[in-house]
Amino acid sequence: MSERITRAQIPLSEMTITPGSACQGCGAALAARLAFKALGPNVIRHGIPCCPDSVTKTPRTGTVFEGGGALLTGTSRGLKAIGRDDVKAVAFYGDGGTYDIGFQGLSAAAERNEDVLVLTKDNEAYMNTGNQRSSATPKYSMTSTTPVGPKSRGKPRHKKNVPFIFAAHYVPYVATASVGFPEDLIAKVTYAKDLKGFRMIIIQAPCPVGWRYDPAKTIEVARSGVQTGLWPLYEIEDGQNFKLNYKPKELKPVSEYLSPQRRFRHMTEDETAEIQEDTTTKWDTLTRADELGRLII
Amino acid sequence: MHGRGGQGAVTASRIIATAAYEEGTYSQAIPMYGTERRGAPLTAFVRLDDVRVRERELVHTPDISIVLDPLIAKQQAVVDNLKPGGLVILNTAHKPEEVELGGDFKVATIDATTIALETLGRPITNTAILGAFAKITGLLKLESIEKAILKYFPGRLGEMNIAAVRRSYEEASDPIQAVVTKAPAEKVDIHVGGYGVLKDVSSWRLLTPEIDVDTCIGCKNCWIFCPETAIEWDEDTMKPSIRYNACKGCGLCANECPVDAIEMVRVEA
Ligand SMILES: Cc1ncc(C[n+]2csc(CCOP(=O)(O)OP(=O)(O)O)c2C)c(N)n1
Ligand code: SF4
Ligand code: SF4
Ligand code: SF4
Ligand SMILES: [Mg+2]
Repeated sequence: MSERITRAQIPLSEMTITPGSACQGCGAALAARLAFKALGPNVIRHGIPCCPDSVTKTPRTGTVFEGGGALLTGTSRGLKAIGRDDVKAVAFYGDGGTYDIGFQGLSAAAERNEDVLVLTKDNEAYMNTGNQRSSATPKYSMTSTTPVGPKSRGKPRHKKNVPFIFAAHYVPYVATASVGFPEDLIAKVTYAKDLKGFRMIIIQAPCPVGWRYDPAKTIEVARSGVQTGLWPLYEIEDGQNFKLNYKPKELKPVSEYLSPQRRFRHMTEDETAEIQEDTTTKWDTLTRADELGRLII
Repeated sequence: MHGRGGQGAVTASRIIATAAYEEGTYSQAIPMYGTERRGAPLTAFVRLDDVRVRERELVHTPDISIVLDPLIAKQQAVVDNLKPGGLVILNTAHKPEEVELGGDFKVATIDATTIALETLGRPITNTAILGAFAKITGLLKLESIEKAILKYFPGRLGEMNIAAVRRSYEEASDPIQAVVTKAPAEKVDIHVGGYGVLKDVSSWRLLTPEIDVDTCIGCKNCWIFCPETAIEWDEDTMKPSIRYNACKGCGLCANECPVDAIEMVRVEA
């Protein structure tokens, strides 16, 4: 498991070249900045189509959505063949590229336990193409393909639990992180960088445009996602060892996270109560797993 | 029509086209296709004609250029391809005589940002410029614009936008011939969008962060949370400073400062 770091330990040097072309207050741009800062120069960055986040000083290669897992595999094996294990094959993909379109290739790479690090900036929809729902979109969220109207209440189904699905491939490391908790994010990326085998970190990356809030509130939104238990921060090793990284005495009510975002504006009290109950139940399970230090999947 | 992502240039172009249609004129509205990032400069186009509009190309030599953003309004690019004797309507607090764009065209100005802030509470200037457009060009009646607005913004939001349009209609004054006759030698490209690294995104900002280093307690929040790495950290003084060419004015740093040492100020164009 990763070791806690303080703000003073965060490296001052930057790996991103800015200004970039992301929107004002983009959570994904911040996720890229923080993650690549932690990774340093010995990285080959892999991309698939998604929103422009930050351009990094590291070499970059790219492929189609479906090829994400395969390209990473090729790079990692190639690096091994030339004896450059010090250079890491790192993916920086969107949720669409991880949860949906690129899923099978990544699942195959995980099952083979390829020596790769997958970082996913999760902005909970296909943002680059105009906010279409993905399987990372949470229940009731309004997107351009799950509108709100007489016959639709936003997305009808829950967000897919991708970290658990990848943990169930029994890979060395799966973690969640958030741009609102930069020390935790950087500690996890630093730790995952030097592990061998398949590693994945899903980073919560609020999007002011798709989630519909004031760009100045990106960190507020990220933080309240974690503090309400809707975006728990945890690590899973080898598909069984489990650790919760953020454990408040009491969770904040989910409404604190939902109400500032206009993608949830239409939600009724009953719908909010449903999300509250679901979140509390899942949180109880997670805290129990944390006490045991184990997870059964 | 020049604006920035989030100011509603695309909607404004549609409102004009819809209003014209209401009056029996053939019309067409098309946005420039690209990565429309919030805050990034973008262009939308409108064609009005007495006969059916069959052309589907972008408008390369417009008769009228409408500029929704005060900072973009300072860039010569907004009038570069205007037809000789054309018209530019700028959102700026300055009078037409003070505008430093050069060439053979007429200039009209309207302080749409102030109107928008006072009537809508938000700096979304797209409707606040339409009243001025109607009055100055005489191409559309105020009523047709109001009708079109209600189609796009029903209810209270529509009423607020109509208030903005009416005020801009009242405040607009006649255009004058451009005072500066020659285009400046140095030109800034306003089409800074798309992928990759950009040179300077100052034109994206409506509000600019200013740090009061005496109030600052050196917590590093602003530095760590700036998505654009626009804040530099000095480890000796333990104080931040802003690299303004990289700052998009998102306001995140000011929002995260625990002692309110960062203020977002409106820097006048
Ligand atoms: C197979 C395929 N389908 C669709 C597209 C079009 N496309 C490009 S980017 C994108 C959205 C990606 O969403 P996500 O991975 O969540 O990244 P985000 O844009 O949200 O950062 C889509 C659908 C494509 N390039 N390839
Ligand atoms: S749409 Fe959202 S994720 Fe994409 S660049 Fe803009 S803020 Fe970032
Ligand atoms: S407003 Fe602050 S956080 Fe936003 S880009 Fe500028 S310096 Fe960075
Ligand atoms: S957030 Fe405020 S107090 Fe903290 S370093 Fe920045 S200016 Fe100083
Ligand atoms: Mg996405």
